[in-house]
Amino acid sequence: MTPSLSKIVEEARLSARALIDYGESLFNPTIRLGVTGLSRAGKTVFITALVHGLIRGGRFPVFEAFDSGRIARAHLSPQPDDGVPRFAYERHLRALVEERRWPNSTVDISELRLVIGYQRPNGADRTLTLDIVDYPGEWLLDLPLLGKSYEQWARESLSLSREGPRADLASAWHAQLATLSAEGPADEQATLEAARLFTDYLRACRDERFAMSLLPPGRFLMPGSLAGSPALTFAPLDVPTERTAPDGSLWAMMVRRYEAYKDIVVWPFFRDHFARLDRQIVLVDALAAFNAGPAALHDLEAALSGILDCFRVGRSTILSTLFRPRIDRILFAATKADHLHHTSHDRLEAVLRRAVNQAATRAESTGAAIDVVALAAVRATREALVARGRDKLPSLLGTPAAGESAGGEIFDGNTEVATFPGDLPLDAEALFNGVDAFHGLSSKSAEQTDFRFLRFRPPLLEAAADGAPSLPHIRLDRALQFLIGDRLQ
Amino acid sequence: MSEPAKESAKPYAKHRRPATFRLDGPGVVVVDTEEAGRPARGTIQITPQAEPAQLPAVVETILPARRGFRWGALLWTSVAGLVLLGLGLSVTHLIEDLFARSEGLGFLGAGFAAAAALALIAIIAREAYGLVRLATIEKLHRRAAEVLLSDDRKESRAVVADLLKIAHQNPRLARARVSLSSHTDEIIDGADMIKLAERELMSPLDIEARRLVSVAAQRVSVVTAVSPRAAIDVLFVLAAALRLIRQLARLYGGRPGALGMISLARQVVAHLAITGGMAASDSLVQQVLGHGIAAKLSQRLGEGVLNGLLTARLGLAAIDVTRPLPFTALPRPVLADLAKDLLRKREDEE
Repeated sequence: MTPSLSKIVEEARLSARALIDYGESLFNPTIRLGVTGLSRAGKTVFITALVHGLIRGGRFPVFEAFDSGRIARAHLSPQPDDGVPRFAYERHLRALVEERRWPNSTVDISELRLVIGYQRPNGADRTLTLDIVDYPGEWLLDLPLLGKSYEQWARESLSLSREGPRADLASAWHAQLATLSAEGPADEQATLEAARLFTDYLRACRDERFAMSLLPPGRFLMPGSLAGSPALTFAPLDVPTERTAPDGSLWAMMVRRYEAYKDIVVWPFFRDHFARLDRQIVLVDALAAFNAGPAALHDLEAALSGILDCFRVGRSTILSTLFRPRIDRILFAATKADHLHHTSHDRLEAVLRRAVNQAATRAESTGAAIDVVALAAVRATREALVARGRDKLPSLLGTPAAGESAGGEIFDGNTEVATFPGDLPLDAEALFNGVDAFHGLSSKSAEQTDFRFLRFRPPLLEAAADGAPSLPHIRLDRALQFLIGDRLQ
Repeated sequence: MSEPAKESAKPYAKHRRPATFRLDGPGVVVVDTEEAGRPARGTIQITPQAEPAQLPAVVETILPARRGFRWGALLWTSVAGLVLLGLGLSVTHLIEDLFARSEGLGFLGAGFAAAAALALIAIIAREAYGLVRLATIEKLHRRAAEVLLSDDRKESRAVVADLLKIAHQNPRLARARVSLSSHTDEIIDGADMIKLAERELMSPLDIEARRLVSVAAQRVSVVTAVSPRAAIDVLFVLAAALRLIRQLARLYGGRPGALGMISLARQVVAHLAITGGMAASDSLVQQVLGHGIAAKLSQRLGEGVLNGLLTARLGLAAIDVTRPLPFTALPRPVLADLAKDLLRKREDEE
C-alpha cells in the first residue's frame, strides 16, 4: 500500500485520538479489551460470563485480584462511544440462565463499559474502566485487504477456491465466472449475479460440515445495512497479470467497488475500533474444525495467522501510546473446552498453539505477550468415566441441543447423554499432517469420523440466594488474569 | 490436570472412535464413584466424576470438641489436690519442728513456705491464663470458620474485635491493626471481613511462621545427619518440635505454659493424624522418593532430610492449630515450599 495523502491524514487523526485517550487514561485508567472470534466461537457467551462473574462474583481462584479480594466492586456504566450499539448483557444472560439456550450470535460491533473498583496491593483505592468491544472475527479477516490491491485479492481468492473441498462448493460460481470477461464492458447484472454466487460459496464454506474460516470479505456474510449496495457487489475475476484495468471494463468496476468496500467498511472499522484496542482475546472454535476435517483445520490456521498479522502488537510505551496505539497482550482461547475431558485440555491448547505458532513468534519478538488457553466461559457439561467392556472412555455428561445428532440418533434437547468425543493426539503435529490426518464430516459420514463434538445446551443452574446464579466455567479466571490482571496491580 | 488418564495417553495409532450414550438407554448404568467396578458384560457403566474446582468450598476440619464428663480431668485434679494437701501438711510439720528447735529457723522456714506458695499461685495463674488464652484462640478460629460459612456480619465484627485484642500485644501489627480497625465500620460482608482481617493481620505472621518452621526443620535435618547416636536424634527432634510449637504459639498470640504446651502438643498431634494421612500419600512420599538420590548417596543424609520434612510437617500442623484464623484468603504454606528451603540449604552446605 503506497501511503497516499488521505492515509497520512487518517494516521494523523488516529494519533490525535490516541493522544486524547492517553490523557483520559492518566486520570481514569481504561483498558479497551477487544473480544473477537470467528462466528460461533462463543464471543457473546464469553463476554456475558465475564461481566456476570465480575459483577455478581464467581469462582475465580486464578484471577489474583479477584481472589485476593482486592476487587471491591464492579458495575456497568454508560459506554463512551455513542454510535456503537450496547452489548445486550441482560438479554444474553437471560437467554443463558432462564431459557437455557446460547445467546444469538454477534452480527455487529457492540460495546459495554464495566467499571471495576479495586485496591492495589499497597492499599491505594483505584478504579479501572474496562471497555469491552465485541466484534465479529470476519471483520478482522478484512483488515489484510487494506494492504492488498483488487488484483492481488482476486488471485488469492480464486486459487483458494480451487483447492480441496472448496472447489466443489464453488462450482456454480466458477461456472458463471468462466462466462465473464475481465476486460469486457461493465455489466451490472452480471456483477450482481457474480456477487450473489460468490456470497453463496462463502456461506456454504461456513457450513458445519466444512467449517472453513478464511472467508474474506467478511461483510458479505453479515451485510447489515449495506446489503445490496455497490460496495458489497463485487466478486473476484480471473484477471490477467501484467496489465491494468481498461476504462469502462468490468474489471475497472470491480476495482472501484473493492476500493469502496475498503473505504466504507474496512478502514472505518480499523480507525474507530480496532486501532484503539489495548488487549485482545481471540476466541477460536477449534472443535468445529475437528468435527469438519483437516481442511478446516488448515483453513483455521491460515485465518489465525491472517488475524495475527493485522494486530498492531508491541509493548505499550509512553511514546507508542501517544502516537500509535498498540495491543500488548493477545490471548488465543480455544473455546468450548467443556466439550472435552480435562485430560485433553492440554492437547487442545497444543493444537491451538501449533496453529498460531508462526505468527505468535513474530508478535512476541515485537514485545507483545501472547498466550494460549483452552477455556469454557460457561461450562455446560460434567465429566464422567464410561466403562464399556475393557475400555474406559473419559467422557462428558450433558444435554445436547435440540437437533444435534450422534450415532444415528437425533436429540430433542431434553435427553442427557454421555459422550466420548474421540482422543486428541498427544502430538499436535499429527493433526496437521496432510489432508488424511483425520477424518471429519467433510469427507466421511457421521459414523466414520474421528471426532464428534456435540453441541450442548447451557447447564441447568440453581439460583443463588441473591438471585442470579454464578456461572460455572473453565479457566475463565486464567484468561482474566492474563488480560487485565497486570493492570489491577 | 490432576491425574492424566492412562487410557487417553495411548498413541494416536490406537485412536478410539467417538461414542455417545443416552443415560436412559438400554444397558447403560449410572453409578457413583464409590461403587465403580468392572461393568457386567454387555453393559455400559457411566461414573460421573467430580472435579476439584467444582466441589463445594473445603470446610476447615474443626477439631472435635470433647464431650461427656472428663473422668481423667477429675482424677488428675483430685490427685493433684491430694499431693498439694500432703505437701502442705508436711511443710506445716516441718515449720512446727523448726519453731520447736529455734524461733529464728521457724521464721525462715515460714518465709520460704510463703514465698513458695506465692510462686505457686503465680505459676498457676500464669498457666490458667495461658490455657484460657489458647482456648480463646481456638474458639476464635472456630468462630471465624463459622462466619466464613454463614457470612454473618455482626459476628464477624465481634471476631475481629477479639482478634484485635489478641494482636494488641504484638507491636509488629500496629499498622495493620489501625488499618483493620478503620474498616470495621464499613459495609463489608462477614466472610470478607474475616478474609480482610486475615490478610491484614496474619500475612506478616505467616511469613515469620514459615521461617521458624524451616529453620527448625533445617536444624533437625543437620543434627540427624551428623549425630552419632539414634537416641540423640530422638531427643533432639522432640526438643526441637516442642520448641517450634511454643514459638509458633507465641507468634500467633498464645502464651502457653507447661500445661498449655501439653494441650497444644496433643492438638498438634491430633491434627497431624487428621491431615497427615492425606498429605503423606502425596507430597511427603513424593518428596522423599524424589529425593531418594540423597539417601543413596548417604543413608544419614537421607534420614536427615526425612526428619527435617517430618519436623516441617509438624510445624505446619502447629501453624494450623495455633493460628487464630483459618486459611482462606492467604495460601496455606505447604510442605513443598519448606522442602525446597530445606534442600536448598542442604545443597548450599555441601
